[in-house]
Amino acid sequence: MSIEKYLLRLYPRIWRARYEEELLAVLESCPLTFPDTIDMLLGAIDAHLHPYLGAMGLSLYERMKQMLSLLRRSLLTMFCSSIGFMLAGVGFQKMNEYDDFTKAAQTITLVGLSFHLILIGAVVLFLAVLGAGLPIASAIIESALRQKRYGSVFLLAVPLLAFAVFLLTTLLLETILGPGNHLSPGWRLFLERGVFLGVLLAAAIAGTGALCFAVTRSQISEELFRFALLLSIPATISMVLILLAIFVWGLSLRSSVPQLFSSNAGIFASSTAGTWLGIVIAMTITIVIAVVSLVRGLSARSALRSTAA
Amino acid sequence: MSTPNLGRFSDPSILILASLAGGTKHGYAIMEDIETFAGMRPGPGTLYGAIARLEEYGLIEPLPSEERRRPYRLTAVGITFLREQLSSLETFAAMGLRRLASI
Repeated sequence: MSIEKYLLRLYPRIWRARYEEELLAVLESCPLTFPDTIDMLLGAIDAHLHPYLGAMGLSLYERMKQMLSLLRRSLLTMFCSSIGFMLAGVGFQKMNEYDDFTKAAQTITLVGLSFHLILIGAVVLFLAVLGAGLPIASAIIESALRQKRYGSVFLLAVPLLAFAVFLLTTLLLETILGPGNHLSPGWRLFLERGVFLGVLLAAAIAGTGALCFAVTRSQISEELFRFALLLSIPATISMVLILLAIFVWGLSLRSSVPQLFSSNAGIFASSTAGTWLGIVIAMTITIVIAVVSLVRGLSARSALRSTAA
Repeated sequence: MSTPNLGRFSDPSILILASLAGGTKHGYAIMEDIETFAGMRPGPGTLYGAIARLEEYGLIEPLPSEERRRPYRLTAVGITFLREQLSSLETFAAMGLRRLASI
């Protein structure tokens, strides 16, 4: 396959269906230079951020359907990224339970201030996700009862079940790893870190996946998605604020208590700096995904509005 | 008429509209024409990013494909929009030239 076709594969499906053939004809007439390749890559990013482009050729019904589906997909991606972000945040919170960090937050102004900002941001994020999610959950139950598809109600219960499994596993691990155990260091490490993290991640994936699946198989009104998109704006802003506060927290800790920053007080007695950096990287990735999804969602929302008009 | 938000595609869009003011053209012909009258060639990604927006805002419309090439033409809205844009550019250019003359 030619490089031109590879580049076009990067464009969204709707866009390709409308413009691929004619753009290929243009590219066959003029040899592709390096700046043109960059231009095509930027064009692909732009087409993904403005997914309504290329949908003009579709019928009004098909266009509305595509944009609604896109709005739903964007919201679900944002939801998944906020869960990923919260998991990284839980890691940060766990690390801060150690006395040394609590003391640092109490004695060093910038560390304490940034920690409080993180808490405020976390509350805003949680409320925004809850505010967007609860009406949708209620619509899922309503839709399930109306259509007599009770599987969706079960899907809503999966996060609670997954959390219960995680709690049980934690209790079980505490018993196994408690005083008087005769486990080898290898087994200890495997249970303490491998099983704990594995169950935590599996519970998060199962819970999030079940909720996403429940949304896709239920009839949910466009208004609820629009409302959820509106709340995803403060959610994304609070994610950015939390990340900035964690970044400032790390830098101020590094300059004020360098021995703590360079110690092994991170998650599972790992490097503090490494844990902090890992959390910052994980949060940055989830924020990038959330922002891209938000832009796509807003784009789909405005396309839905103009199509309806 | 409300001004369409063409974002960073504003300049290429005006060039495309100006090119189509000279008659219907397909993508490659628009590219060539712009290179002739403006001395710059828009990249293929920029060209089709702008074409997609112009079509979305109803400023141009596609004609039936000729083999794999699809010609475009200005719509009535596109003509009005281009006229408004060029008039404001003309006013702006005249003001700039007047000020330069007084230096």
